[in-house]
Amino acid sequence: MIDFFNKMTATLEIQNLNVSIGEKPILKDFSLTIPKGEVHAIMGPNGTGKSTLAKALAGHPDYEITSGDALIDGESILEMEPDERSREGLFMAFQYPIEIPGVTIANFIRAALNGRLPEGEELNAPAYYRSLYEKMDMLKIDRKFTSRFVNDGFSGGEKKRCEILQMAMLDPKYAILDETDSGLDIDALKVVADGVNSLRGENLGVLVITHYQRLLEYIVPDHVHVLYDGRIVKSGDKDLALELEEKGYDWVKELAETAA
Amino acid sequence: MTTTTTQIEIDRDKGDFQYPEQHKYDAGTGLSEKTIDYICDVKGEDDWIRSFRKRALKVFESKPMPTHWATKDLENIDFDKIRYYLADGQRASRSWEDVPDDVKETFERLGIPENERKFLAGVEAQFDSEAAYSNIKDAVAKDGVIFVGSTEGLLKHPDIFRKWFGKVIPTGDNKFSALNSAVFSGGSFIYVPPGVKVSHPLQAYFRINAENFGQFERTLIIADEGSEVTYMEGCTAPKFDTATLHSAVVELVAMPGAKIEYITVQNWASNVYNLVTKRALAHENSVVKWIDCNIGSRLTMKYPGVVLKGRKARGEVLSIALANDDQHQDTGAKMIHAADETTSNVISKSISVGEGRSTYRGQVHMPKHLKGCKNNTECDALLINSNSRTDTYPAITVRGDDNSVQHEASVSKVSAEQIFYMQQRGLSEGEAMSLSVNGFVNDLTRQFPMEYSVELKRLIELEMEGSVG
Amino acid sequence: MKTESQSVTAFKETFNHHIEDLDTTPGWWRSMKREAFDRFLTTPMPKRKDESWRFASLSNLSFAEFAYGKPPSITNAQELVEKSRILEHQSGSFTFADNQTIDAEKASFELQKKGVIWTSLREAISRNGELLKDYFMKQEANLGSEKFSLLHTSFVENGALLYIPKGVEVEYPFVSYNWITGQNAAVFPHTLVIAEEFAKVSLVEAHFSTTEDVGALSCGVTHLFAGVGAKIDYTLLQNYNEETLGFQINSNIAGKDATVKTVSVNVGCRNYRSETHGQIKGAGAHVEMLSLAVADKDQEIDQRTLQTHSAPHATSDLLFKNALKDNAKTIFSGLIKVDDGAQQTDAYQTNRNLLLSKTAEANSLPGLEIEANDVKCSHGATTSQIEEEEIFYMLARGIPKEKAQELVVYGFFEEILERIEDEKLKEFARSVIQTKFSSK
Repeated sequence: MIDFFNKMTATLEIQNLNVSIGEKPILKDFSLTIPKGEVHAIMGPNGTGKSTLAKALAGHPDYEITSGDALIDGESILEMEPDERSREGLFMAFQYPIEIPGVTIANFIRAALNGRLPEGEELNAPAYYRSLYEKMDMLKIDRKFTSRFVNDGFSGGEKKRCEILQMAMLDPKYAILDETDSGLDIDALKVVADGVNSLRGENLGVLVITHYQRLLEYIVPDHVHVLYDGRIVKSGDKDLALELEEKGYDWVKELAETAA
Repeated sequence: MTTTTTQIEIDRDKGDFQYPEQHKYDAGTGLSEKTIDYICDVKGEDDWIRSFRKRALKVFESKPMPTHWATKDLENIDFDKIRYYLADGQRASRSWEDVPDDVKETFERLGIPENERKFLAGVEAQFDSEAAYSNIKDAVAKDGVIFVGSTEGLLKHPDIFRKWFGKVIPTGDNKFSALNSAVFSGGSFIYVPPGVKVSHPLQAYFRINAENFGQFERTLIIADEGSEVTYMEGCTAPKFDTATLHSAVVELVAMPGAKIEYITVQNWASNVYNLVTKRALAHENSVVKWIDCNIGSRLTMKYPGVVLKGRKARGEVLSIALANDDQHQDTGAKMIHAADETTSNVISKSISVGEGRSTYRGQVHMPKHLKGCKNNTECDALLINSNSRTDTYPAITVRGDDNSVQHEASVSKVSAEQIFYMQQRGLSEGEAMSLSVNGFVNDLTRQFPMEYSVELKRLIELEMEGSVG
Repeated sequence: MKTESQSVTAFKETFNHHIEDLDTTPGWWRSMKREAFDRFLTTPMPKRKDESWRFASLSNLSFAEFAYGKPPSITNAQELVEKSRILEHQSGSFTFADNQTIDAEKASFELQKKGVIWTSLREAISRNGELLKDYFMKQEANLGSEKFSLLHTSFVENGALLYIPKGVEVEYPFVSYNWITGQNAAVFPHTLVIAEEFAKVSLVEAHFSTTEDVGALSCGVTHLFAGVGAKIDYTLLQNYNEETLGFQINSNIAGKDATVKTVSVNVGCRNYRSETHGQIKGAGAHVEMLSLAVADKDQEIDQRTLQTHSAPHATSDLLFKNALKDNAKTIFSGLIKVDDGAQQTDAYQTNRNLLLSKTAEANSLPGLEIEANDVKCSHGATTSQIEEEEIFYMLARGIPKEKAQELVVYGFFEEILERIEDEKLKEFARSVIQTKFSSK
């Protein structure tokens, strides 16, 4: 019975979400449920609300949720501050990771992990570094990077790998990857995808947001959704991504028009 | 790097200029209350203006030269030898034969129309542009736009004029604004009624008229709520004048939601001290943009400013300065933020050629208790020869944790690699240089009205010739 | 209320007492001081219109009310000496309290054998007269504090002199601790470093108060001379109490291919005026001038800098960072001057201000005067607050807001702190800043 209950609620659930920037509605009655263990991909042309979804879920102050709900394992997160959402297990890999001069990666991740411990407790430093180095090796990040400042002067590929490193270290329940493939060459893309794949498992739900099908060759999704004008206009399995690639986004526009 | 020749040279002692004999209306040289009485009498001004002028004279006399921060070259101005007012027909002239050949050639190459050349060269004291002038006046008058000389504005529209006159730039703002307040004549008065959008730039249709080449011109432009206007002064052709001191005051008032764009191309002959005070008052949601190009003069000191008085007002200064041999372009911008969410942008590009010197001075002020104010300033200086000079002196004050300012400045020279690359493609070194310099100012000139940017480009080409040796 | 002439007479008397107390010092020393004092008297106080004092609050500048006489004996000397041990390894140290030497660690015999001189100014006056005649106060103050520089020469009586002969490299820093203990004390910290050709040395100067709330005047001068190919690394840590009026007038000269790096960490004083003149006199020299200041309450930190390039192919890089809380005010005024002969100069100047309260005020006057054309020069000044996006990024990683802000601020300083070579000193500076920053 308990198992059943847990299974029922082990989801990232987005219910009829409406999101505006300023006066402008971007997401319109958007609904999607991502159970743990699954990888969902959202594709769509630029400006249809993909990144809005990611930022609104993470709690960015510029995005106003006018109605609807978002729940992690049955608990609404909309009233939570961004850091509370993170500690609740939501991770977002930023499309444009922010540079934080003067703060080293090692200190930054440690501060994030310390934030997850009960008041007054601190991480065990040697264990922390062991785990950090292990994950850096996996993501082919030079260990010297620990003393570099967060994203400061990083190349596009380095920034994205650093995002995945943080994801690996913070061990989220649900991860949203916002255009993680943008700006990556094929080798960097493979490294990032390998990193994500190694974290896949029954304790993690993933939402991959992307413009191109290319990334989905490496992070193979269980479900693909097509977003247009703030709504999902079509859902399917991984083949939908290929179909979309072939028919182009004009097809999406047609789908949307037929739907409306 | 050796010889530098200046394209535009005129005789410094201006011996080829002659004043007409007209004793009846001659204020003579030097400045006193008598000079002011003379000006008021000739112009038939009201008593309040007379006392305004006399008060200003006292302020002018009491203020020291600002040489504690500005160039000592100001000390070379001999105020006693200056003619402060020339009535119509009094302006000095010289004969076309006396005009140096290279000046004539410059006119030729800039494509200045035949009939304008004599005026520009100081051969004719007046250029008759009355026809074009009345055309534009008629066109805008239909919408209720007032566009007259400042003397006429004072006499015929005292109600609007007096309300704003001297309010943006008080007499005592600086020594030269006080001087202008004492002896001003010429300049324009423009009033644009609420909601009226003047589609053509005013002044663009008659690029020459005597009023606008006045020595102490005074311009006041008021754009009422939601209106829009663009004003242009000067022209790219070099202008020769007997008067070696020019000191204008320009006041702009942008009422809520109004937009004013003020474009200046200054190309005075290289014996002129050009000491100008320009400031705008920007009310809520209004936009004021100063576009300022300084090519000529011996010394120009000019720092167009915007007082951002209303919420969300925006101020911009885009300026280009070119300082050739014996020239000092001391220019800049002032942005005084006085309301929440006001923004300002300053982009300044200067080029120093030969022994020319360019200076940027800036002031950005954000007082306490304001929220969401932003300023961006970029100053780039290009040095062409090893004896060129550039200085940058910004002053930035920011209070409070909700305002932000960024200032960046750089100094560079034309890259030798770039020149070589162009030479390899068959351009001469001079051509390559002027192409580079035009490239340097390109992102600014693109914002200028078409005809100005084309003329400016040619002018830069002319100025750059012979700059590399 | 004394009239002006009365107070001048009184101050002359103060100086005469000072000179009388120096009756055992050589004549040249006393006459140099007399000359300086005469010039001090005729030099006017800074005025509002002086460009070099723009934005500064002049009403807080004063010199007359402080105690210039012999200080009462230092009762807690031992405690101060204990506190004056920040570094783990040092080549020598001095601890001064109210201008008196309370502790000295001499340079090793080995260094002395190589000709290294590490001595107090008081001893140097009689023993190293020739050296002092060549170098002592030979750099004129030219950034506005001429009067206070003359005040320094008039009253200075102690300090640290470090001379490194040609080719000698010293591994560990020399340290000069300067304490203010007395009520209304007037102290004149002085540091003079001369590094001959290809010598290499580092020096740390620390300024502290023993009390929290007793007013004082500190008027310090540091001059660094780096000969051909020499390397000098200088760090100043200023943490006087917030009732102190402080002046620090520094100048460094870099010869051909010399390297000079200065790092200042300014935390204390009510009003602090610092002037730093980097003189790039030799071709190929490299000068770095770094500073960070944390200002809170009603503190005013006023920094003036000048980078003069008079030789070609040299580089200079300046970075001044200020963080402001409460009603604090900072002024940064910097100028890069490139002479016409100084081609191929690379000179940079950056001022970054972080405003952390609604009422803090940051003034920035970054200037350039360039007379050579083949140069790369730029300056940048930004004044801003903590970026919302930066905070959001941290929140999105689960870092609580207060911690996130703290990280950003410490991160802001780290760019300077990481340039301090000595690990212990770096840790100490970090803790001083964190203590100050987290104090309410």
